[in-house]
Amino acid sequence: MREVPMKARKEQSLVVDILIWGFLIVTALLILAPTLFMFTASLMPSRDIVRMPYPWIPKDLYVQNYWHALEGNDGNFIYPRNILNSFIVAGSISLTTVLISALTGYGLAKFPFRGRNIVFLLIMATMMIPFEAIMIPLYLVATTLKMQDSYLGLIMPFLTNAFGIFLMRQYMLTFPDEIIDAARIDGSGELSIFWRIILPNSTPAVAALAILTFRTQWDNLLWPLLISQSEEMKTIPLYVVKFAAEKHTNEGAMMAAAAIASIPIFILFLLLSKYFVSGALLHSSRKG
Amino acid sequence: MKKLFSRGIEHKKARWGWFLVLPSLVFFSLFSFFPIINAFYTSLFRKRLLSLRPPDFIGFANYEYLLKSPDFWNSVRATFIFTLGTFIPIVICGLVLAAFIMSRRRFQKLFQMIFYSPAVLSSVVAAAIWLLIFDPRGLANQGMNALLGTVGRDFKWLATANMVRLSTILVYFWKYIGHFTVIYITGLASIPQSLHEAARIDGASGWQDFWHITIPLLKPTTVLVSIMSMLQCLKTFSTQYLFTESGAPTGPINVITLNIYNTAIRDHNIGRASAMSVLLFGMMLFFTWVQFRFSRSGGEVDYA
Repeated sequence: MREVPMKARKEQSLVVDILIWGFLIVTALLILAPTLFMFTASLMPSRDIVRMPYPWIPKDLYVQNYWHALEGNDGNFIYPRNILNSFIVAGSISLTTVLISALTGYGLAKFPFRGRNIVFLLIMATMMIPFEAIMIPLYLVATTLKMQDSYLGLIMPFLTNAFGIFLMRQYMLTFPDEIIDAARIDGSGELSIFWRIILPNSTPAVAALAILTFRTQWDNLLWPLLISQSEEMKTIPLYVVKFAAEKHTNEGAMMAAAAIASIPIFILFLLLSKYFVSGALLHSSRKG
Repeated sequence: MKKLFSRGIEHKKARWGWFLVLPSLVFFSLFSFFPIINAFYTSLFRKRLLSLRPPDFIGFANYEYLLKSPDFWNSVRATFIFTLGTFIPIVICGLVLAAFIMSRRRFQKLFQMIFYSPAVLSSVVAAAIWLLIFDPRGLANQGMNALLGTVGRDFKWLATANMVRLSTILVYFWKYIGHFTVIYITGLASIPQSLHEAARIDGASGWQDFWHITIPLLKPTTVLVSIMSMLQCLKTFSTQYLFTESGAPTGPINVITLNIYNTAIRDHNIGRASAMSVLLFGMMLFFTWVQFRFSRSGGEVDYA
């Protein structure tokens, strides 16, 4: 290898440094641009949105878009109801997922029983079954049980999931047995041990799983598309699709509808970004 | 006496263990195992949605039909073009971005947050934003014209077959690149710093260090990222659904999931849709297996 003089080397590394910074900053701006476009366009009248070049900064805040988005093309204000539905469905599913996953994870982590490994493997195997492959049979079951167009139908197939159970089990494996045994000797029942000792000591896993589940369900399009029939039982993604399909009427309102759908999750993200990113990381621990 | 006592406890623990996992077992039996078996069973029948007629058993005729149907093969093609076009760039660019971010001493967290932010949006919201960006007068044309120095050229993002495909790929890439970059960053952070230092002392350049130390040691993360991103791409639905609902041509982006949905709900053909579901399931199992084989054959990474 040829010796590079110290000074030249320093200059070279400075150039590389500037190039990397430049690349990262340009990429960051490109990645932010569509989100910025959504928020700025949601505050502009349509004629500004399609102006070339795009103005980026709304001249005066055109909040009528938000009104139109909430009012809908039919003027029946169904969007607020759909937003409420999304909160109810995503909220209940997060709750049941955390509870059932924690219970099952605790059982798998701390209670040796015959067949435990098989049970664990069976549960993990369901990760390989994509929802897209079982949605039709599930839909038939839901119709037979008359669960279409109801909260129960929207919630039922997602009460818990294998990833949540895996996460909880991994987390609880590290919990010291001595503490559980001590509580038993003190006469605590098994469920009260779970409720008072195990669950409060699993907050990081609980929070990460709750947020991950909430986001996944907030985003769920396919199942509500099958199961919700009346406008009253639709969720946010269905409303956004319908609104977008009729977008030629009003681009600004379409971006307002999209912004409304994103604001709750963005607030969560800004407040709890630690758990969002750790959720992504935990996802990667799937390999075990 | 002691043995008896401890066996009593073991017994009690085993009962509690079963009690705790029982709800999940019931749930998965009803909502995972039964449906997938039922999908296979239904795929052997000619069954129509909302029809009162009992379904006819037709054996593998649904599969035979699908394997001969140009429409199904078109869906397979659309799915594969989308998957390859999305997950390979994600695997490569995610690594590059992660390595660049990790090479900076400052603003690591900020860049992670920015790159991750599109993953926070719903997929329909992402698709809706890009629908406007791909408008003939939208940002995509403006950007491309500025880049290529052309004036007023329309790239027909949502009109011609290949451009629609590219458009769906762009949406997905934009939405998920940050997610996988963050996973790469954890992988990079788990490589002991001492190895990089040792390489530097031995006179390796930054590039050599990256190529001969980082890349081989990062293999488990790379395998994980490629399996996860590939499976996610095979299941893509929302972007394609929203685009076709808003008037984009269906053919080039009629991915398998979209085809299943339309066959079942629009054409009411439950049997055929089930057969497609089973084939999709089979494909995903197969690719996971292939990638696991690939990753095993290279041997395990040992930091010691």
